[in-house]
Amino acid sequence: MSAAERGGRRRVAWVLLGLVTVGALGVLVARSTRPSDAPAARVTRLEQQIACPVCDGQSVAESNAPEARAIRDDIPERVADGQTDAEIRAAYVARYGDGVLLAPAGSGLGLVAWALPLCVLALGGLGVVVAVRRWSRVTRLVPDADDVATVEAARREAGEQS
Amino acid sequence: MRRPTRWVALGVGVIIAAFGVLLAVQGREETSVPRLVREHGPAPAIRATTIDGRTVDPARLAGRAYVVNFFNSWCIPCIDELPALREFYAAHADDPDFAMIGVVRDDEVDAVRTFVREQRIPWPVVFEGADRIGLDFGTTGQPETYVVSPDGTVVCGALGESSRAALETWLDAARLGKECV
Repeated sequence: MSAAERGGRRRVAWVLLGLVTVGALGVLVARSTRPSDAPAARVTRLEQQIACPVCDGQSVAESNAPEARAIRDDIPERVADGQTDAEIRAAYVARYGDGVLLAPAGSGLGLVAWALPLCVLALGGLGVVVAVRRWSRVTRLVPDADDVATVEAARREAGEQS
Repeated sequence: MRRPTRWVALGVGVIIAAFGVLLAVQGREETSVPRLVREHGPAPAIRATTIDGRTVDPARLAGRAYVVNFFNSWCIPCIDELPALREFYAAHADDPDFAMIGVVRDDEVDAVRTFVREQRIPWPVVFEGADRIGLDFGTTGQPETYVVSPDGTVVCGALGESSRAALETWLDAARLGKECV
């Protein structure tokens, strides 16, 4: 197989790998269901997203602290008032700070928390690609004139003996 | 770039280190000054009925410097600060521009009634709807005291036991419309 053919096959393999990856991600996105906008579902979701302000890592859904109880009573009222999830989260952040959100916000410093793992993943992938390309470029051993002469001499000798 | 993998590894390392620093800096706020006091926000409206049937509403508080004290009957620091609160209230109860309200944070109504009677607490104490008031103020513990200026701004206060001297300083500041922190 010529070097050009080997290069062509390698390119096809990379394209196939890319297609499989994109396809798998597509299936993953398609299977993830869109969260419900029903008021009860929103209340439940928000109760799980808002941290109890005086607890360590517990959501208001899990805690029985007075603050958690008050927030549990308050969320349905805000949903009924027509506030969006973002507005409701912002109201508690204004009162208790960013720590009241169990998931980081999608803006400001919270955005860094979301973006960093993706950056690390992308850089890691880039590192793998660079490493594989470097390994594949390692020069294979090519016999020089002395090697050819040695092999020829050995063959001649073997021929004479037989 | 002669060694790209080394640069990529360095980049990953820098990002991970930056993330660690970010997490360390983002640590939880530990302060004895409630957020509403630090931000000098407007005092949430208090509409409630006290355990002895008195009415508390924003109209009665408008134009006054007033103190809101969150407490529980079972809370030792709340009991410890009671002598200071009693002295402070006795000194100012007749001031026409002064008011003081106790708000129960997390307690049983019978325990609160007994506590108020036994401890001879003369200022109005709110039980029904106290969760709502605590949420509006953004309380995080007890005792927690807020002092509001006549224009309705939360100017002073603290989480934890308050002394008579601190209460007097806060009231003076509130009457002048000054912020303590």
